[in-house]
Amino acid sequence: MDLLIQIIFGLLSALIIGAAMMVVTVRNVIHAALWLIASFFGVAALYLTLEAEFIAVVQVLVYVGAISILVLFAIMLTRSSEGERLLTQHWWAAAIISLGLFGAVLLPTLVGHHWNLPLPTGPAGTPESLAGVEELGRGFVNEFLIQFEVAGILLTVALIGAIVIAFEERSRRRRVLTLSEEHILRQRQQATATAAQAALVTADAAD
Amino acid sequence: MQDVVNQVINTTFGWNWPSWAIALIGYLIVAVILFAIAPFQMLFLTLYERRAIARMQDRVGPNRVGPEGIFQPLADGVKIFTKEDIVPDAADHWVHFIAPCVVVAPTMFMFVVLPWGPGMVPVDLNIGLLFFFAISSVSAVGLLMAGWASSNKFALIGAMRAVAQMVSYEIPAVISLLALVLITGSLSIVDMISYQGGLFISSRDVASVPDWGLGWFIFTPVGFLAFVAFFIAALAEGERTPFDIPEADSEIVAGYMTEYSGMKFGLFYLAQYVLNFLLCAITSVIFFGGWQGPGVGWLYAQAITPVNPQGGWVFNVLAGVLGVVYFLSKTYFFFFVMVWIRGAFARLRIDQLMDFGWKFLIPLTLVNVISAAVWVALTKWGAADGLAFVEGWSPLVRWAVAFVVTLAMNLGAYLYLARIFAHSQAERERLDDEVLESLINVV
Repeated sequence: MDLLIQIIFGLLSALIIGAAMMVVTVRNVIHAALWLIASFFGVAALYLTLEAEFIAVVQVLVYVGAISILVLFAIMLTRSSEGERLLTQHWWAAAIISLGLFGAVLLPTLVGHHWNLPLPTGPAGTPESLAGVEELGRGFVNEFLIQFEVAGILLTVALIGAIVIAFEERSRRRRVLTLSEEHILRQRQQATATAAQAALVTADAAD
Repeated sequence: MQDVVNQVINTTFGWNWPSWAIALIGYLIVAVILFAIAPFQMLFLTLYERRAIARMQDRVGPNRVGPEGIFQPLADGVKIFTKEDIVPDAADHWVHFIAPCVVVAPTMFMFVVLPWGPGMVPVDLNIGLLFFFAISSVSAVGLLMAGWASSNKFALIGAMRAVAQMVSYEIPAVISLLALVLITGSLSIVDMISYQGGLFISSRDVASVPDWGLGWFIFTPVGFLAFVAFFIAALAEGERTPFDIPEADSEIVAGYMTEYSGMKFGLFYLAQYVLNFLLCAITSVIFFGGWQGPGVGWLYAQAITPVNPQGGWVFNVLAGVLGVVYFLSKTYFFFFVMVWIRGAFARLRIDQLMDFGWKFLIPLTLVNVISAAVWVALTKWGAADGLAFVEGWSPLVRWAVAFVVTLAMNLGAYLYLARIFAHSQAERERLDDEVLESLINVV
């Protein structure tokens, strides 16, 4: 079983790292977004190998199902293609900053982690389920209540903000006419135009 | 499946293979069976839909190929396979090529947690229900890929509509299921089915009820409202007719499928019918007890199970067959309802679709979640949870009180919301007409 898990883990890591590399190297923005989705999916599969099924499914639900759609929509609605603007002059500054951030996250972990822990032995019994639904739910209403409430308020505010923006947009927009309504509109406009022209002609004749 | 494989390989042949190989072989066999079943469902459902809709429209439908046209799907398959695969010059070739696979793959994944009969579930995940809906939301990415890669205005509009619709209607679907998850106390689909034993009352709520396999959620007010909301949302998610805006053929050709031909088009078709089958199946599983029905529970109690290793294998077969018959007949009935609705209703406009989902279905399902909480409190809680006054009542009385209270809550919420919704729609029509008049009467 261990060997199988190792092989699966290797394949998944290759997928995740490869997809993440493609995200930053591909020129087409939409392709980058699609590679990002592949990377998210790999991370979800990685959670599954840890037997954290709930986290894996939520990863798919939130990142693959919702956030990636948001990213794709945003890209498609704002620009069609991004070609030459990709390589800037200050790429080295960006490289230093991102390396610094990466190191700041990774170094404490690398230094502080105890490697080569002995495998847990002793009575196996039923292994404690990792981050199941019930533990998470209890955590949200007991230990992490403040964080939970703050996140809830933040999301509500975002929702209300979106509605307010949509209302402003809406007041400046009218319903799209159906073909028959547009036809009637054309006819009436034409009728008034010809009537005005006829009035002009009669006025000319009267002169 | 794994114990059967283990029996054959290690006991009969005596090869002593390791357990991971046995597990792998067991899952592979199940996967192969499911991959074979899915396309056959699609073949059957296309014929079923065409014949049924033809009857409703006073036509005959396809009846030439084979007796009563049963080989028509095969003829269609041959036609689709032999068609030329045309890729537009301006298309993004790779994305255009991958999109159908991204749409089909999630529908196949969803079979993983679908129980077919007693003890017949490929994998009993303890978060099965959530898995089902999380995976179904992946196909939205595929639709967007298809629409964008075709570099065609109609395809892009269709994809945008499809994704907007799927994302909005996922919310009422999931919230309506949340109410039942509250009652069951589990996200596992197998647990949800076993909760629905009994006779019009679940035997988990009232233990003395005889188990005829008829304690379906549909017989409770919470379950009924959840069913109506869920089925409407399922119609939207499966792009069935009142909600077939993404592929409205009189407006935008075929939506995101416009630039696809041959087998790639066939794959979209496959995904759509398999998804419809799965949505009907999950409706029957969650609200109508899946394989639960008179006789299955009794047969399964005599069968070889982990609980009862001394059973007879005949009962395994009988319980399985009867369970699958119940399950499939419910599922096909719901597919018939989908066809029926297609024959009866016209297509909605996109703004009507969004209004209905966000302003009516979501508030209604939220009220339903509160009713579910009331239901749980009245049937399961006691003095320890702060409800000392229900302690003295008998289970049947508690059930009856919960029924009446939730019925009143749901009915009141429905009537109130329906009035508000009708009023807001009328107001909106009036405003639209006013604007139109002022436009038309311009000089």
